[in-house]
Amino acid sequence: MEETRNPGLFGIFSLFAGISTLTIGGGYAMIPVIARKVSSKGWLDEAEFYGLFATAQSLPGPMAYNTALLVGKRTAGAAGALCAGLGILLPPVTIVMIAAALVSTAGENAVMGAFLRGAGATVPGLVAALLLRMTLKRSWNPARALLSAGAAAAMIAAPVWAVPLFFVASAIAFLFERPEGGNGS
Amino acid sequence: MELVLAFLKIGAVSYGGGWTIVGIIKTEVVGRGWLDEQGFSELVGLAQVTPGPVALNAATLVGYRLYGVPGSIAASLSVVFVPTLLILAAGFILGKLGERTALRLDQSLRTATFALVALTLWSFAPAAAASIPAAAYALVAFAVSAFTTVNPVWVILGAGSVETIRAVFAR
Repeated sequence: MEETRNPGLFGIFSLFAGISTLTIGGGYAMIPVIARKVSSKGWLDEAEFYGLFATAQSLPGPMAYNTALLVGKRTAGAAGALCAGLGILLPPVTIVMIAAALVSTAGENAVMGAFLRGAGATVPGLVAALLLRMTLKRSWNPARALLSAGAAAAMIAAPVWAVPLFFVASAIAFLFERPEGGNGS
Repeated sequence: MELVLAFLKIGAVSYGGGWTIVGIIKTEVVGRGWLDEQGFSELVGLAQVTPGPVALNAATLVGYRLYGVPGSIAASLSVVFVPTLLILAAGFILGKLGERTALRLDQSLRTATFALVALTLWSFAPAAAASIPAAAYALVAFAVSAFTTVNPVWVILGAGSVETIRAVFAR
């Protein structure tokens, strides 16, 4: 194991605790932040991170939490996964309990509402950037490109079926991936 | 106890981003009569203001409303329990599959995830096109996140601050 791949349990905990404390806007705001941090710290390269993100999407549970767990596991084993999970959980649970004790209708406060509106408005841009980075870091071939585009079109046409379509697309893609790990067909 | 069971179930069946999970929590919580529609909407508002995954925050809040601090800890641990087990097990199963099959699976999931992210972008697009400031925040966030090494969290907090200032001056 190289140095960079071994961030230490406290390093993992504090990274995810930091992200979880500062990032408003849910999973799609958190994923790009996590992607940036783990690659800038040299824990994982960006393409490898998107692989973990794909696995996180295929399991139930909050996306950012699942992704953090997988990053922790890849870099420091099961203990790393638990530290990453605690890092994601602890700050929001604490902040939410304090907030719940103090206010009941924060969404109705005008200043807070404006802050939220601004923060929330960045999410479409973050998702677009995530899609672009995933596109650039993917090793494409005709089958992968066609299936990704076809699945996207199907999901956009029938968003209610997005989860079943995700698994159908994965299964079809699996058949088209060469077992040799070559560049498919 | 019923709270723990409900959130274990929610954790086990919730796929996709936070908003899908919030829908599932609503069905369970409002359906059981623990909270009414109005109370749940207020709670989701608060889950958005607070940092962290929206679904997790919603779970914590429901637990808090019903049973105070012990309730919020129980609900948040329950909602992530099944996903945690599955992730630890997934690594084990992938190890058993052998490297080639695991690689094929990884590549197939990447192909399908691309589509899921595209769908998310599609569903967010109208919000970004709704007003000039909204489009500007989204564009800046896109440019910073796609082409620079700046941590996107600063853009999120920055956009919130700019919008707050705008709102104060608009009065």
